[in-house]
Amino acid sequence: MTVAPIVSVRELRKRYGQIKAVDGVSFDVHEREIFALLGPNGAGKTTTVEILEGLRSADSGTALVAGVDVRKDPSGVKERIGVQLQQSAFPENFLAQEVVDLFALFHGRKVDSLALLRAVGLEDKAKQKSEKLSGGQRQRLSIAVAMVNEPQVLFLDEPTTGLDPQARRNLWDLIRDIRKRGTTVFLTTHYLDEAEVLCDRVAIIDAGRIIALDSPQALITKLLGRGFSKPVPQQQANLEDVFLDLTGHALRED
Amino acid sequence: MLLRAYTRDWTALFFGFFFPLIFMGIFGILNFGSFGHVALGIVDNADNADSQAFRAALGRVETLQLSSGTSDDQLARLQKGDRDIVLVIPADFKVAAARPGAAVPTLTLYANQGRGEQVAVGSAILTQVIDQMSFAITQTAPVVAMKREEIAGRNLKYVDFLTPGIVGMTIMQLGVASVMFSFVVDRQRGVIRRIMATPISRRNYMAAHVLERLLLAIVQVLILIAVAVFAFNVTIVGSLGLVLAIAVLGSVLFLCFGFAVTGFVTTENQAPAILQLVTLPQMFLSGVFFSRDAVPAFLKPVSDVLPLTFLNDALRQVSTAGAGIVDVGRDVIGIVVWSAIMFFIAFRFFKLET
Repeated sequence: MTVAPIVSVRELRKRYGQIKAVDGVSFDVHEREIFALLGPNGAGKTTTVEILEGLRSADSGTALVAGVDVRKDPSGVKERIGVQLQQSAFPENFLAQEVVDLFALFHGRKVDSLALLRAVGLEDKAKQKSEKLSGGQRQRLSIAVAMVNEPQVLFLDEPTTGLDPQARRNLWDLIRDIRKRGTTVFLTTHYLDEAEVLCDRVAIIDAGRIIALDSPQALITKLLGRGFSKPVPQQQANLEDVFLDLTGHALRED
Repeated sequence: MLLRAYTRDWTALFFGFFFPLIFMGIFGILNFGSFGHVALGIVDNADNADSQAFRAALGRVETLQLSSGTSDDQLARLQKGDRDIVLVIPADFKVAAARPGAAVPTLTLYANQGRGEQVAVGSAILTQVIDQMSFAITQTAPVVAMKREEIAGRNLKYVDFLTPGIVGMTIMQLGVASVMFSFVVDRQRGVIRRIMATPISRRNYMAAHVLERLLLAIVQVLILIAVAVFAFNVTIVGSLGLVLAIAVLGSVLFLCFGFAVTGFVTTENQAPAILQLVTLPQMFLSGVFFSRDAVPAFLKPVSDVLPLTFLNDALRQVSTAGAGIVDVGRDVIGIVVWSAIMFFIAFRFFKLET
């Protein structure tokens, strides 16, 4: 039995002047998986994601998200997805809880904002101004906001950039949690370790083209199959493990 | 909900609400432009019953600020500018019927040349008081009677003049500054982009912003007028409804103005400079604090067509002269035309995203 993919992209193209930002990208994302678009800065990750979110128009190609053609009905897509943008902020002078309520309003919904904040571990910050939150807290608030419309797909654009190791791990747990509750997660990242531990499948994009797509383990196996070996044998622990061992695994709230 | 956040934004609150009130307070208390008093120094060399009666009569005149002292002292003060007029009452002062041709006591008046207006008013009052005393003694009725009628029965104080100007200025600030700062900042921080990732349409989003600001403008105008009326005894002569209607029209104009200007501002740093550039000239050339009669002739053509000029004139005509909608028709047309121009520019250049 094959289930229709929840995100289906075919031959998507977008150019800015002479630069081909997205150059014929095709891939499918299955329901309830954590899928990552992996690539260096400027590879076309954000452009691709923003086309899927209905924020940018593609020049050609098709993109179906949750059964809706993005190019024909961007607002229909926006109703079905949750997004966290790379460079975005919430209006100033709103309390965390009000931010959630406000965005529910934009979706024409009424939500239990406290429950949403509890789900991302921010219940005790409900009465704090959103701009006073720490980086990790802000990302989690942003995920709570993205969940106000019970989305079928959650798009996260570089969610852990700029976070400390504890906050990153905490966010990974949250993302796994969201998937467990039935939401497909589509994220972009340039952290390879993140893709490796978090994602079911990754697509590697470079210069606007997908150059590999598989599960992290399969990609590694393939590489090893080509006779690749690291020049220096990997140690059993690295500096990050030392750091986490010394400073503790738990998230710090300051 | 947006309003609740607004009350937390202390800077916006300060500039939007308290700043105009402070302006009104300062200028209202200083009472610029009013004539004030005539400082009259009296040197009473007679100091008898008659001279005291004369001084008492002068003391009943409100406009005069009396003080007395020795001749040297008062003249020195006159030279320093503390006195407008010094009146010397001669030692032989008496109020009695004089035989025709006989010498009468002569009052000497020293006038401060630099205060012509006060001197003129002061001497007129003195003449009147002396005449009244003469008539009382000689028992002759005045040959000519003068009936004075107060025109329109109003005594226009400076705050009366100022209030519509402050209302106009506030509408301008609220429109231009609030649109510019919130949109430039939200655009730069990516707030608008995030909101556009929700199904809300651009039209609804813009409409919400415009409605919120119109509402704020009305509240603000009502507060200003309430303070003016209750704290400064300002009289709104015309209809309050018409003042509010003009204020709403003015808000629409300056919201369009704000969006139009914001179309040309890309970063947060440019915003204050551009804001000053477009609002300062209007603050001084459109009759906010003082009459446009003071505008130099070569700037007059500019001053005549500034958006705030139309708004201020209309507000002032209604609130100080009781003008009706027909009387301010020209100004209303000016406001509408400016709104249309600004709407067009805003429509053409204003972008939600960069």
